[in-house]
Amino acid sequence: MRIPLAITLAITLTLIAGAVSLAAQTRYTGPRTAWGKPDLNGIWQAINTADWDLLPHAAAQSPVLALGAAGAQPPGLGVVEGDEIPYLPAAAAKKKQNGAHWLTEDPEVKCFLPGVPRATYMPYPFQIVQTAGNVLIAYQFAGAVRMIPLKARASDSPVDSWMGDSFGRWEGDVLVIDAKGFTDTTWFSRAGDFHSDALHVVERYTPLSHDAIQYEATIEDPQTFSRPWKISMPLYRHLEKNAQLLEFKCVEFVEELMYGPLRKQTSK
Amino acid sequence: MMTRASIAVLLLALPLAAQTPAKTAPAAKIWKQTKTPDGQPDIQGVWVNFDSTPFERAAPSPTGAGSAPASGNQNALLFADRAPKVPQRPSMVVDPPNGRVPLTPWAEQQRDYSLSHVQDSWEYNTTWERCIARGIPAAIFPAGYNNGYQILQTPGQVVILYEMIHEARIVPIDGRPHLPAALRQWNGDPRGHWEGNTLVVETTNFNGKGMIATNAASARIRSVPETENAHIVERFTRVDENTINYEVTIDDPKAASAPWKVAMPLARDDNYKIYEYMCHEANKDYMEITLGGGRLKEKTDAAAGRK
Repeated sequence: MRIPLAITLAITLTLIAGAVSLAAQTRYTGPRTAWGKPDLNGIWQAINTADWDLLPHAAAQSPVLALGAAGAQPPGLGVVEGDEIPYLPAAAAKKKQNGAHWLTEDPEVKCFLPGVPRATYMPYPFQIVQTAGNVLIAYQFAGAVRMIPLKARASDSPVDSWMGDSFGRWEGDVLVIDAKGFTDTTWFSRAGDFHSDALHVVERYTPLSHDAIQYEATIEDPQTFSRPWKISMPLYRHLEKNAQLLEFKCVEFVEELMYGPLRKQTSK
Repeated sequence: MMTRASIAVLLLALPLAAQTPAKTAPAAKIWKQTKTPDGQPDIQGVWVNFDSTPFERAAPSPTGAGSAPASGNQNALLFADRAPKVPQRPSMVVDPPNGRVPLTPWAEQQRDYSLSHVQDSWEYNTTWERCIARGIPAAIFPAGYNNGYQILQTPGQVVILYEMIHEARIVPIDGRPHLPAALRQWNGDPRGHWEGNTLVVETTNFNGKGMIATNAASARIRSVPETENAHIVERFTRVDENTINYEVTIDDPKAASAPWKVAMPLARDDNYKIYEYMCHEANKDYMEITLGGGRLKEKTDAAAGRK
């Protein structure tokens, strides 16, 4: 029996499409916890330049002359889906203003808690501590920490916080964290990207292998953006045998900057 | 007249009554230490120590005739809004037996200088007031508020989340060596191991810029320096469903002439909610009042012709 070429082609294409979509959903085959979830315990880090700018950007001169090449902005492809952050008009103007004054206005410069999702892609590692009932994420920068109960949110937090109020759940092998209850005090990048206290972030940690996680964060804030938008990036496991989250208690590095003029001026 | 049922009750009751004298405690269920999936004694949960026990005992009187005049327990005020969940003791310090830390003259001098110069610079304020870190073991010494701790355990590590200054202390228990001596940190470098049901945590590699206690409840010990040579050994032993007995031995020869020990219970409190302890983010007012107040005083003193 002869099969028309068109049908053969259609079947072939369907098979190829099927294979491609299977590849895209490759199941996690790495180690699992005693209770069967992908084991995310370990020290992770994003390797990109999103902390400088979430959007595609060329290299740029350091704002601090003395730092020369060491303080220059590294180039990056960007991490925003569609390469656009949908600011409302007034917010777009504020973002531009922030970016122009980041050296004096960016909370990172003052060692303030970095917020979410920025803590994830700052150029510092963080550690995931995963138990059956809780996930704790300890970030090296400023000793920021999030305790994330793996249960449904019963009610909104009575107080806003810099790192937000987070609850997690597993969707198959994907860890989904719902975070809100934020103050309006953190930024998303040195480029001045910001948000209001209506910020709501949904993060998805999809393990690709034992050593890589695909991270996605959907950002919603109707006071700042005209629609939800999404960033995504891989996170990489620190494979050093002696890997350990060291202290970056940066308060000490900003005291002179913040309080210098208040110090007693006579010689000691 | 006895029914058959009442005879049965009586018969059942007899062996119970016979056992009663042998029992020393009410017929509570015997508590058994449970294990985590990887076999560690399970000490996970939220623990608190709103504990107004004085840090030290009162100083003996110079004449040796009894103790110094009772000044009352200042800590009772600090913890007034919290009913104590643990028995009160004469002092947190249990060794030396007199309940007094054998501070060296150097340590007292350093402390006194810092405390009398807090308006000169941030560096004379405690590391807690600076929002850097309360330090180890100071982070677990009760303060007037925010005495919450949450413990998580995963294979190879125990993690203690200290509510105050949002500190996640990650304690490896996988036998790895300490950090190289050149690498020093505010909270040092902890390594733990289990001795039976006791978690033993040994901390070294301090940066020498911290303090052994940072809060008012630690009274005379607040602001005493913790040197680079400090060697801290903590022991966490869960003794029942709702109690961890915590002990810490502090060996820092430059600051105290002999090792000294603090002991306190931690009480389990499933209803205690740990919120974000933002600190540095809101510390500008404290620094402006403290340091700015100092500069203002200089100006007014100068105007008044004083030095």
